[in-house]
Amino acid sequence: MKSSSGTGFSAQDATASKRVPETLPPRPLCAGLLESLSLLYERLKPVPRFALLFALTSAAFAQNTPLPTGEAVLDRFVEATGGKDAYLKHTSEIQTGTLDYPALGVKAPVTRYSAPPDQYLLSMEMPGVGKVDTGVSNGIAWSNSAIAGPRVLEGQEKALALREAKFNGVVNWRQTIAKAENKGIEPVDGDDCYRIVLTPKEGREETRYFSVKSGLLVKASTIAATQVGDIPVEMRYTGYKQFNGVLFPVTVTQVAAGQEFSVTIQNIENDKPIPAEKFALPADIKALLNKPK
Amino acid sequence: MRVVALTLLAILAQAQQIPQERQLNLDSFEKVWITIRDKHWQKDPAGLDWQKIHDEYRPQAEKAKTIDETRVVIRAMLGRLKETHFAILPSRVYTNVEESSAGSGSTGIELRILDGEAIVVSVDPHSSAEELGVKAGWKIQNAKGENIADAIKSVSNLTELMATRAIANNLSGPIGSSIKATFLDGAGKSQERALDLREPRGRLTTFGNLPPTYVWVDSRHIQNTGYIRFNEFLDLVRVMNTFSDLIKSCEHCDGLIIDLRGNPGGIGGMAMGMAGFLIDKPNQRLGTTYLRDATLNFVINPRPNQFSGPVAILVDSSSASTSEIFAGGLKDLGRARIFGTRTAAAALPSVIERLPNGDGFQYAIANYISEGGKALEGLGVEPDETVKLTRESLLAGHDAVLDAALNWIQKKGNQKQ
Repeated sequence: MKSSSGTGFSAQDATASKRVPETLPPRPLCAGLLESLSLLYERLKPVPRFALLFALTSAAFAQNTPLPTGEAVLDRFVEATGGKDAYLKHTSEIQTGTLDYPALGVKAPVTRYSAPPDQYLLSMEMPGVGKVDTGVSNGIAWSNSAIAGPRVLEGQEKALALREAKFNGVVNWRQTIAKAENKGIEPVDGDDCYRIVLTPKEGREETRYFSVKSGLLVKASTIAATQVGDIPVEMRYTGYKQFNGVLFPVTVTQVAAGQEFSVTIQNIENDKPIPAEKFALPADIKALLNKPK
Repeated sequence: MRVVALTLLAILAQAQQIPQERQLNLDSFEKVWITIRDKHWQKDPAGLDWQKIHDEYRPQAEKAKTIDETRVVIRAMLGRLKETHFAILPSRVYTNVEESSAGSGSTGIELRILDGEAIVVSVDPHSSAEELGVKAGWKIQNAKGENIADAIKSVSNLTELMATRAIANNLSGPIGSSIKATFLDGAGKSQERALDLREPRGRLTTFGNLPPTYVWVDSRHIQNTGYIRFNEFLDLVRVMNTFSDLIKSCEHCDGLIIDLRGNPGGIGGMAMGMAGFLIDKPNQRLGTTYLRDATLNFVINPRPNQFSGPVAILVDSSSASTSEIFAGGLKDLGRARIFGTRTAAAALPSVIERLPNGDGFQYAIANYISEGGKALEGLGVEPDETVKLTRESLLAGHDAVLDAALNWIQKKGNQKQ
């Protein structure tokens, strides 16, 4: 054999004979995870923003006042991250960051373009995998990569993508969320948090944890709809930092299907013109849409 | 005096490192144990009392004096799972590209163990073996001074894939060196060759924590049949683009042959991506992966451009992992006919993490069931047509497996007419 590399075998196999090469380079699969990386990243999209006013922050608030409604907690989050005006003055957004998947040793630059009302493109260049794009253009949610090819999203996946693509969705949450219920206070890493269960107008329930003290989002969990199946996902939001008047969590760490990913934002540019081509449907997606059923 | 002082300092420094290294080794043992406890797809991994396993091996890990001894203990613990894709990879595997390539010299010979003999099944173009006239069908008698018949006997307890790799190790070494090997040719004459070890065929590719790997892809038309073979499911963009180009060029082909013999797998998602060129119906899948808290379907994405003719997949006992997922799934869906011999039966999805002591730890994160409802792990993919390579046919210049696939495609074409 010209190559001794292979699948990777159990320690039992590898030590069964001294004649076996000491190292049996493995071939990881992790296929579903890789395939759905881009979809999972949509859930990592930092939603919180900057807080200039922490008017309602104190432990006493939690202990001595009645439990605020879920709606009030969401509105407070908008204030805590910069306020409605800070969000609404922006006309476009370009986030640049890095996706880190330590279990596979993969790091990938990520760029996310968004513009009103729901134009959206997330582009990753993964070493060894190539370009992985997901986007929403004129109500069509799609993904495209060398590994999986072009795909038009449907059902729950589409609902999630459209919701995430809403520009200023944080401020205009009432457009997409039907119900927000405050289920009580729970600690997250020692920080008391309101546990808010969100029921979207379309799509699955999501639970978000907002710090009682700061009003900031610190954790979220949901069952993410992906092409490969429903995946329980938990996200942690840390390192809030101001970008152009709005507070963002610099790092969002996600655990999905037992694997940990993180996205760290390096920069956010606002109000820079984004060429229309960025949001145009790729030719492969158009070909799929035009394919006879 | 200065030399003595430096020596003493060196000894002291070394002495100080020992407790630190020991702790790193113990931390590595714990990390492996905890990872299995928390991430194995079964809460009781392989039906074992995992805490009991910890209590059994922890004292041995504490006694281990070196990283090598620690590795032996961890491997023994992992061995209790009796599952593939659990391995400890010494840290030197993760060296840089230059160092890695320096240790992976190739003679260009691809071998298989056929009827208990190590037989050359193919010779790479431009390799030293080709230049020195080594032919398919030659029996390898001796390499690196070792009697190959004895070597084969000593690995008889291993799986075919493992045994083949172990024997192939006798034909590898650092690039730039050479090895002496003796062959029995087609006329029954002994042939000795001094084979240079050169850079292996293909392009050196890296992906995440994986060791750098040479990947090659061979795509062409044989008569009016598309043919593709690639040695690993890696170098994703190049391999997928080559596959896509072949599909485009095969609009009027009689059939398509995907040769996965010797392919040990790679990125599992590529199996789904390639299947998308062959399956037109949406929501089909190759199989299902079961993790502890999620079920992932290997869903096939129908591509805009498709090949709808007969598909043959060639496999052997060295086809593993992603190769098995691809072949097994398409067989189960009735989309491909499988030719060759049973696959390696090693198809668990896995990832690799670095341990505190620098070693790599590969662990399976899920169980995999093919679309037909069977686990590939331990069973492999059974061909629709079992065709074995023989020394005689190889010497006659035939690839019996490829010939069988071509015949089938031709018959399908005739039936259509």
